[in-house]
Amino acid sequence: MNLKPDSKVLIQGFSELISTTHIDQMKSYYGTNLVAGVDPGHGGIMAHNLPVFDLVEEVVSSFGTIDTTIISVHPYQVLDAALEAIAANISQIIIISPGVPPLDMVTLLRKTENHEILIVGPNSPGIIVPGKILLGIQPSEFYTPGNVSIVSRSSTLTYEVAWELTKSGLGQSISVSIGSDAIVGSSFSQWLQILDEDENTEAIVLVGQPGGESEEVAAKYISTAIDKPVVAYIAGRHAPPSKSWHHSGNFATVVKRDPDFGSVSTKLSTFSNAQIPVAQYPQQIPQLLIKAMKC
Amino acid sequence: MDLLEYQVKEWFNKIGIPVLPSQRIDHPTDLKRLKIPYPIVLKSQVYANDRSQVGGVKIAETTIDAIAAAQSIFSLPIGGELPKVLLAESKYNAQEEFYLAVVLDTVISRPVLLGCRYIDWQSPGENMQYVVVEQEFSPFYARRLAYLMGLRGGLMQSVSDIVTKMYHLFLHKDLDLVEINPLGVSSSCQVMTLNGKIRVNERAINRHPDIADIASKIARDPGSKRINGMLVDMLGRNNQGEIGILANGTGSALTTWDAVVAAGGKPAVSLNLRHSWLNHTEPTKFSQRMETGLRVLAADRNIQVILINLLGTIPELSEVPRVMTDFMALQLEELRWFLNTSQKTLPQRLPKIVMRLAGNDFQVARKSLLSILQVQSENFILVENLDVAVKEAVSLTKSPVYRK
Repeated sequence: MNLKPDSKVLIQGFSELISTTHIDQMKSYYGTNLVAGVDPGHGGIMAHNLPVFDLVEEVVSSFGTIDTTIISVHPYQVLDAALEAIAANISQIIIISPGVPPLDMVTLLRKTENHEILIVGPNSPGIIVPGKILLGIQPSEFYTPGNVSIVSRSSTLTYEVAWELTKSGLGQSISVSIGSDAIVGSSFSQWLQILDEDENTEAIVLVGQPGGESEEVAAKYISTAIDKPVVAYIAGRHAPPSKSWHHSGNFATVVKRDPDFGSVSTKLSTFSNAQIPVAQYPQQIPQLLIKAMKC
Repeated sequence: MDLLEYQVKEWFNKIGIPVLPSQRIDHPTDLKRLKIPYPIVLKSQVYANDRSQVGGVKIAETTIDAIAAAQSIFSLPIGGELPKVLLAESKYNAQEEFYLAVVLDTVISRPVLLGCRYIDWQSPGENMQYVVVEQEFSPFYARRLAYLMGLRGGLMQSVSDIVTKMYHLFLHKDLDLVEINPLGVSSSCQVMTLNGKIRVNERAINRHPDIADIASKIARDPGSKRINGMLVDMLGRNNQGEIGILANGTGSALTTWDAVVAAGGKPAVSLNLRHSWLNHTEPTKFSQRMETGLRVLAADRNIQVILINLLGTIPELSEVPRVMTDFMALQLEELRWFLNTSQKTLPQRLPKIVMRLAGNDFQVARKSLLSILQVQSENFILVENLDVAVKEAVSLTKSPVYRK
């Protein structure tokens, strides 16, 4: 993972989720080396103060190797945009667009898993290293530099948690949202490993939500492989179970017909069995962190 | 989104998965023009499972029997839903029954082929065989499944051929699940789909014109709309709830719900405005979703307060003051279209609004909203802190004006 402040960054597509404010925040406020945008059919113009090209390869020939691309095209064009980036040797892909058809993600992951290509998202606001680099649309005003990292499956809830930490005087080393779509490119476990090795990180906050099994897998991984203190927060403990988690199509639900699969209660009990402290609401995270960091 | 059995079988038939001769019955009198020979099986076309236990499936030997059976099935609600269509199908004598499925496993991010003989629904995992489609599909994956199921010879070939066709359908139509349960096997080892299930991935609906067409029909029909949960991206539904929630993102919507409960309030429903809803065949803008969301919540008679939680930024931020001003000036009659099917009458007043805006981007919107505040201070509260917003919303529902 290259999060150096001078790494070159590209934006593919300008959907409603990415605005001039976001781009200004990345370029002017954070100094992210955002070099260009790609928007097929609009090459040659300037958009949001960025030169726009038709093809990713044009950007590479103008600016040299690109480290990271931020994809914000229509969800049905995400697979194509990612394949175009991979063909141009871009190895870090952050997908902001929500609602990518899962079978497109399967196709993409079959191509990337055995090659050193990192995919974050879809449906992710990206990565922020407070005070250093912003890759995506995370609002920087909620963050302050420090030693707590956040790994989350949510978008806005990630900022809510960051703000709680900031208000309690706990700065952040890095915050990443892996994305809230059913199939995402990088998992909680992959990021936990990165954060465990990150020398600026002293403690980790994991933010989860109902659906799927990624929190359960993460809890098991934490108890076996992570040395730094971890505090978890799972949204939705009082919410009624919903059919529309978009995560229900699963071996476990079809074969075992497990009605509790993906539910908050299953996740909470997995964390409790793994003896990982779980906050009941975001405001409780700072005190649990302070307690965990003292041990 | 699930398809009905007759739609599933139409798709199966098109791609060469064996199905029985059948006919769609829209009205009992259609049986007078039946083209398939008796005896037939009449099946209620509803989304609920287990229809046969409650009388949704009947066998008929003659036209008179069939019409009587059809009348009774048409008037039998299953899982709260009356069938609009029945399926009349030839009767089949199966010697054996298999289970086959292709499902997208979101944990391992791969499609999985499933199959078994003699499924025991008490512990269905036990005999179930599965093959993970690690790389691009090729029919050998299907043969591997058939082999694992213990099939050999001609039956191995015909079953793996069906699984291959199921996989192609799964891939080309962006399905979450395609299931044949059961696949009948005759004494001469012929195979036949007896019942099938298809779950379409909701995020991919709009790239398939035929599925988008089915979805928009469901969206226009209040009964199935409720069952398929298609109207909005709804995270919960509590009919006794008093607080409706609008948020930008699933996590925020859920955290807001939790906070309302923790503060002693009763959340009714939480809507996520982050992306288009499933019945939208055209791209929507954030402001449109916010307008619709406000109206859906306002049309619910029990909802006394709408709690809006926006953090960071939203697309089309400059539209927010207009959306709010328009909403506060709404005539109750304009909510009629948004009424829930279980509710006939309009609410007596618009709900009060508690709006939480946090983030630098909201500074300008906040200023414009203050002008609404001056005239609507009774009905509109604007705060920055989520906790304060939740407490305000809960205390409004407990205020004497709303006590029943």
